[in-house]
Amino acid sequence: MKLSRRGFMKWTGAGAAALSLSRLGFDVKPVAAYATTLRIAGAKEVVSICPFCSCGCNIIMFVKDGKFISSEGDPDYPVSEGALCPKGAAFHSMHVSHHRILKPRYRAPGSDKWEEKDWDFVLDRIARKVKDTRDKDFVEKNDKGLTVNRVETLFQLGTSQMDNEECAVSHQMLRSLGVVYLDHQARV
Amino acid sequence: MPKAFFIDTSRCTACRGCQVACKEWHEHGVVPTLQRGTHQNPPELTPTNFKIVHFDEHKIDGRIHWLFFPEQCRHCVNPPCKDFGDMYVPGAVIQDEATGAVLYTEKSKELTPEQCKDIKELCPYLVPRRDEKTGMLTKCDMCIDRVQAGMQPACVKTCCTGAMNFGEREEMVALAHKSLEKVKKKHPQASLLDEDSVNVMYLVTQPRDKYFEHASRDIKPLSRQAFLQKIIEPVRRMAG
Amino acid sequence: MTQHWIDIKNANAILIMGSNAAEHHPISFKWVLKAQDDGATVIHVDPKFSRTSARCDLHVPLRSGTDIAFLGGMMKYIIEKNLFQKYYVENYTNAAFIVGDGFEFKDGMFSGFDPATKKYDQKKWAFAMDDKGLPKKDPTLKDPRCVFQLLKKQYDRYNLDDVSAITGVSKENLLKVYDAYAATGKPDKAGTMMYALGWTQHSVGVQNIRLGAMIQLMLGNIGVAGGGVNALRGEPNVQGSTDHAILWHIMPGYNNVPTTNWPTLEDYMKGNTPKSNDPKSVNWWGNRPKYVVSLLKAWFGDNATAENGFCYGLLPKVDPGVDYASMVLFDKMYKGKVRGGFIYGHNPAQSMPHTHKIRKALTMLDFLVVGEAHETETAAFWRQPGTDPKDVKTEVFLLPSCQRGEKDGTISNSGRWHMWHHKGYEPMGVSKPMGWMVVEIMKRVRDLYAREGGAFPEPIAKLDWYETYDPDLLAKKTNGWFTRDCTVGGKDYKKGDQVPSFPSLTADGSTVSLNWLYCGGYPAAGKNLSKRRDLSQDARAAKLGLFPNFSWCWPVNRRIIYNRASVDMNGKPFNPALPVIAWEGDKWVGDVPDGPAPPMAMEKGVYPFIMHTEGMGQLYGPGRVDGPFPEHYEPAETPVTSHPFSKQLSNPCIKIMDSDMDILAKPGDPKYPIVLTTYSMTEHWCGGGDTRNTPALLEAEPQLYVEMSQELGKEKGIKNGDPVIVESIRGKVEAIAMVTVRMTPLTVKGKTVHLIGMPFCFGWTTPGVGDATNRLTPSVGDPNTTIPEYKACLVDIRKADKVTELAR
Repeated sequence: MKLSRRGFMKWTGAGAAALSLSRLGFDVKPVAAYATTLRIAGAKEVVSICPFCSCGCNIIMFVKDGKFISSEGDPDYPVSEGALCPKGAAFHSMHVSHHRILKPRYRAPGSDKWEEKDWDFVLDRIARKVKDTRDKDFVEKNDKGLTVNRVETLFQLGTSQMDNEECAVSHQMLRSLGVVYLDHQARV
Repeated sequence: MPKAFFIDTSRCTACRGCQVACKEWHEHGVVPTLQRGTHQNPPELTPTNFKIVHFDEHKIDGRIHWLFFPEQCRHCVNPPCKDFGDMYVPGAVIQDEATGAVLYTEKSKELTPEQCKDIKELCPYLVPRRDEKTGMLTKCDMCIDRVQAGMQPACVKTCCTGAMNFGEREEMVALAHKSLEKVKKKHPQASLLDEDSVNVMYLVTQPRDKYFEHASRDIKPLSRQAFLQKIIEPVRRMAG
Repeated sequence: MTQHWIDIKNANAILIMGSNAAEHHPISFKWVLKAQDDGATVIHVDPKFSRTSARCDLHVPLRSGTDIAFLGGMMKYIIEKNLFQKYYVENYTNAAFIVGDGFEFKDGMFSGFDPATKKYDQKKWAFAMDDKGLPKKDPTLKDPRCVFQLLKKQYDRYNLDDVSAITGVSKENLLKVYDAYAATGKPDKAGTMMYALGWTQHSVGVQNIRLGAMIQLMLGNIGVAGGGVNALRGEPNVQGSTDHAILWHIMPGYNNVPTTNWPTLEDYMKGNTPKSNDPKSVNWWGNRPKYVVSLLKAWFGDNATAENGFCYGLLPKVDPGVDYASMVLFDKMYKGKVRGGFIYGHNPAQSMPHTHKIRKALTMLDFLVVGEAHETETAAFWRQPGTDPKDVKTEVFLLPSCQRGEKDGTISNSGRWHMWHHKGYEPMGVSKPMGWMVVEIMKRVRDLYAREGGAFPEPIAKLDWYETYDPDLLAKKTNGWFTRDCTVGGKDYKKGDQVPSFPSLTADGSTVSLNWLYCGGYPAAGKNLSKRRDLSQDARAAKLGLFPNFSWCWPVNRRIIYNRASVDMNGKPFNPALPVIAWEGDKWVGDVPDGPAPPMAMEKGVYPFIMHTEGMGQLYGPGRVDGPFPEHYEPAETPVTSHPFSKQLSNPCIKIMDSDMDILAKPGDPKYPIVLTTYSMTEHWCGGGDTRNTPALLEAEPQLYVEMSQELGKEKGIKNGDPVIVESIRGKVEAIAMVTVRMTPLTVKGKTVHLIGMPFCFGWTTPGVGDATNRLTPSVGDPNTTIPEYKACLVDIRKADKVTELAR
């Protein structure tokens, strides 16, 4: 059997006519009851915040057996009233992205590949690089003989992705090292 | 009590929160896409995209109109896909009693690809898609699991501006008419699309021909006789 | 923001300029549309007709880089038609102040310019002072040297014909916008300005915003509900990260970075603590010593004592007048003068201007630490296109960073709401919060110094550092606590008590606070107000949408800042229908007022703008390096060779990098006749590291595009969907053409100028999406901030025979 699309469209032509099917006495099949279960039922709800634009939309994370299974806008956040743009709506996918780096990586000078390392290796090595660089390049006085106590060959960039508490420790660390090249996205 | 959506495109900013929230809730994978000179992507509904925001642009009398239309299944009051699904595989397409949601069940796997194609082409809005991987017929399911749990569909929940609304049909019809009255002051050509025959009612600001082809039904009126003729035709063919 | 997101709904007119709010802050449109429902006129002034424009009552395309001309015309219109709020201007701004004899403005230049340093001597612009040390005033605003008269003279030149000729906006459209927006100059009407990077990313970025703010002052729109100058802010916690100053030029809480001019704490305090002889001026920064000492105590703990200047001497000092901004950093890196460092959650190989140079610069490093959730173009620079890894000697560390849902902490939204987010589950893999990385690295550095000694180890050894990264402890310390039993403001506190609010911070070492602005947000143990979820509010607050019990906002939970300017001098609201605060009987009701003092007219009353030494809104602003009044200058790369307002073509103080790679197209360059603007998009975030790796988002926006007009398409033989090459003097980029009615060629000084726009989120680590748009943009920036001029540079475009970056 083959029915043409155009023909059918005419058949259902006017909305009012379609509605009148039952009134015309045709046997309309009884509707069925459909049962579902909600996949987030019983999940723990934890409030986080969208990590993108500064609307700061609160997001409810649904966590089941320690696993993050879904997320959606928090209706109690007065600014968004539960709404989310596509980036916010993709909060869960972004967290569980296949592309995330899950272990520290190290790339040796001249190498063409990453090596996975444990935290101790990278943290120790980074501390060593920071200290050696600072020791080598620390400037106590500038060319006018004024005390400057700084190191101009080390820097930090970023980030507005940091929480306030992370920004605070970051700033504290850098000033104590004497770093002056300190900047982030507020300047782009 | 049947439920309904009211989608006021005059409030839509095409942020596509709905398009993405729908995918997220349904844990849908993605289809490969390319930039083709429009923001609209994927180009059309797919088995993993039950909702696609359409972007149509026009310059009329020197004024730019960028028309946004978050497309989805209309959950027809009398769904033709169900009538025809029933003829092929009873129970493949059902209409939920409590909500009026039109749903494609596991049984839709028993439909042949050809039958699925028929059902799609018979849909006035060209909505159903067959998932080649699972063999199921797919489309918007009104987030029936959420609705049964007293939640709003994912797309409605995420909408930033109140373009998407969901509730009792009666309330939505009232809201649609009230909104139309208001929107007409700024957009005199605004109208509701097929509001009597669908449970997903769109308010559009421009004449229907300014939107993509299947935004609304073919609006050519039919005579009563022609209508009756058409309605028995497929039944007769099936019997034959 | 001076306001908060919900307050947008209270506006009678909304000017969205320098922002594409519906696309980049989608939630803001919930409130924009609410305002529109209630009758507000929503105006979008932007080169491109975007999703924002689609919902606005009026979209007016202007040539990128001409905002000051556009707004200058509005200022002239407001003054000429007498549409400003006279009472407000007379009493709450510096309109009546007399400017000293040193100030002059001639042919585009202010007095005091030194061409050798490209800097002004700002002292020339000082006010004339009376014998009490206060600015002289003419309350009649008639003195030709008063701010109001100078302002009038400055913008008198911005007539409709000239503004139209240079901006490309028709006179009819100019008048439509001016009319609609100036209508908010009435006391009971409010207009809000929503801006973002479209204003900041210009070589006149700061002055764009200043002129917006000046118009708001003229119209009495600062401090009132539905008013304000609202930076929508382009980053997730850029409000908080700026407050906490991950920036070279300030320390947390907007305290200047120490320079060699201030070798001791005493010098620093003297140089940074303004004094006012006017009893009606609150002069809030007079409190600076309390904030700085509390900060030093927080950093150096018990080691910081009054005797040793609270360890101020241990801090690095920068050279005054020298710029340490990221653009300068990359210039030095490119020149081989930087050895190594940290890049957290930032992708400069994509997002800084002139990425050819940035990518080259990275290869000059000895080591680089990247904290990220993904391998970005910055982390992978050593194997970027055109680079042989063998030639790159850099040691690279890529540290797996948690996503937000995997950690506890606070962020601050654009409305300064300080909000706690909760850890939902254990981080994926062994990823960690960046704060943990910082604490752990510094612990190891401290160990090394303790074991080995080294260069100037004191600041490292004396640091009050942490055993582990504990966001709750840091939130407490950010608020601050008492270091000893003491009495402040007549109240007794015990050692270890939380400081209730910043008026109780001290300069004697009895308090610590990592950031005075946030003092009051965690006022007692177990009372972390950033966790508040209470939606209750009284009817007055509900009408405004204030939500004073939800989270907490700095300062002191004041939801609308400068709110003393929302009432007349007797404390009566300008708009009685939407009072922010009101003096009722003998007290303020409503929002937390800007200080408890009674209304200005009363004996103990004070001026409204408490952060300014003179207490007044600054129509004349001698603090900006490129002039006390905003003046139109062309972008560094401009399609015109002259403009009608002066002979000075570009900002005389403009920051331009000078390496061999930093080349600029000449004004009106026939090889590069088209103006390019770069921007973000709804579906991707900045450099794209997170969002390109989120499948649903990449599905919706898969590849780099360039938006261009149908007219330009016709001229260049480019059809919608064609692959094209966009080229500037610095590089070329492949993209797909989006030929659209939404882009409009503009007529500028009688000639057609084409504008095109491109997102910058696509990069080579995601195959087939395209690569950095910023290969096209120049390393030039605003002289006040060194924010790059991404919004206007010169390019050409042609159809591509074949593309490789977009091959799928």
